[in-house]
Amino acid sequence: MSGNRVAVVGAGMTKFVRRAQETAKELAWEAASKALESCEMTLDDIDAVVIGTAPEAFDGVHMNSEYLSDGCGGWGKPVIRGYVGGGTGVFSPIQGWYHVASGLFDTVLVVAEEKMSSCQPHPQGAFLTIFDNFIERPLEPNLLWIFALEMNAYMNRYGLSKRDIATVSVKNKRNAADHPAALLGDPNITVEDVLNSEVLAWPVQRLDVSPVTDGAVALVMCAEHVARRVTDKPIWVEGVGWSLDSAYWTNRDLSYPTYVEEAARMAYDMAGITEPRKQIHIAEPYDPFDYKELHHLEGLLLFDKGEAPRAAADGVTQRDGDLPVCPSGGLLGVGNPIAAAGTMKVAEIFWQLRGEAGARQVPGKPKRGLAQAWGDLMQVGTVIILGA
Amino acid sequence: MSLLYRIQHPRDALVVEGSMPITSLYTVGIAGERFFREIMEQARLFATRCPECDVTYLPPRLYCERCFSQLDEWVEAPATGRVHTYTTVHIDLDGNPLPEPRTIAFVRIDDTDGGIVHYLGKVDPSEVYIGMGVEAVFKKKSERKGSITDIAYFRPV
Ligand SMILES: [Zn+2]
Repeated sequence: MSGNRVAVVGAGMTKFVRRAQETAKELAWEAASKALESCEMTLDDIDAVVIGTAPEAFDGVHMNSEYLSDGCGGWGKPVIRGYVGGGTGVFSPIQGWYHVASGLFDTVLVVAEEKMSSCQPHPQGAFLTIFDNFIERPLEPNLLWIFALEMNAYMNRYGLSKRDIATVSVKNKRNAADHPAALLGDPNITVEDVLNSEVLAWPVQRLDVSPVTDGAVALVMCAEHVARRVTDKPIWVEGVGWSLDSAYWTNRDLSYPTYVEEAARMAYDMAGITEPRKQIHIAEPYDPFDYKELHHLEGLLLFDKGEAPRAAADGVTQRDGDLPVCPSGGLLGVGNPIAAAGTMKVAEIFWQLRGEAGARQVPGKPKRGLAQAWGDLMQVGTVIILGA
Repeated sequence: MSLLYRIQHPRDALVVEGSMPITSLYTVGIAGERFFREIMEQARLFATRCPECDVTYLPPRLYCERCFSQLDEWVEAPATGRVHTYTTVHIDLDGNPLPEPRTIAFVRIDDTDGGIVHYLGKVDPSEVYIGMGVEAVFKKKSERKGSITDIAYFRPV
């Protein structure tokens, strides 16, 4: 472990919705003030603020974190925004960690926000400009292209069927039915529903994909001496890691997320984890698409390559399985306000390790959990490991 | 540098044209909805107050940025204020001369800690001074649509 010990002591979130009336900063304020309330702290107790928000085109505001700063509690304080696309939601708590681990600050408020409904007719229009202007954009690509190509490569490499993968969507949307903030919880959804949903870009169908969402999530992170004072259940940051692969997705092996493995190895090393399959009790890998949960579980070294689908079919990743995966309901079920979605996963691990996850609580008093996000040009992995 | 600084027009280099095909629809939010509806329907300005911090926010906000409490105390603010600072603008966004120069002022609204940046009207730019008392001139009700431009301009009182 590097640096000073850092604990997560509070978390809060808005409901995830399709279209929020609140401004982006009103959403941020709701999540941030709930996080402070959860640990009986006030803004006066906070030394610095970390803001997470994904492409500015979603909120439609350039310099979005400056705009959001008052809603995030940044008035008169050191404020920073880091940005690694979809990986931001886990990267922001990593930034919160190094603000405190470095000894520079004792308390940090981490706030992640996304308001995608501002972006009309669809956020895909903003995503268009992430592609190479000369090689790819003339073909009018959208994100579904990459995902469909990646999903197909993954399925073919290991001989997987659509049915093998649809189980993830079903699990997560069912799990989300127990999440009070979820947009798309559905206790009755079946694999057939997923397989019969609209084809978007084969093999990707409507119910393989997480929805466009508005929402915000916040965490309070602090140094050990503060954590001991404000709570008897601090949740410690044990490891962090992040890594970027080539910006050219055509120079990557699309069937395996090497960048996630690199991020995971960095985090495991820091946490002193040598056998992640035994030492990680609960996981929240990034699941904007159902196959991505499986893809990422393999990159996280929690299953052998190509083996995650079988484990999912066998129930291993169910809330009461040997390795509960996305007990929150994930992006597929709770929703996908990009940066906020990743931080929601960190908040879920926090609540699960504290035994405060309510109807979503996994059995067996888990002691250590992991959250992971993915993004940028589909090539960043961000990982955080929390322990009770 | 290579080619670009020797060519006459950017398109003399091999270029690809692109834009971001989106339009943003910004909700005015919880506090903004009430603020703009009051302007649209009643031609009135409202502020929110934080009694804890003794700050009156105009435009009104849902929360106090200093102490983070929710602001439930709505107070009507006068449509008058003082010029805190001003400028007279002679060119448009593209740098072309404006047909008529425009005077823009930051008006500190009376009895509040906030203000509005807006046009000044019915005044010769040479007669504007910092500290000048001004009042909002609202458009006719039929022309108001819940926007900051429902105020046509501020004029001297
Ligand atoms: Zn206040």
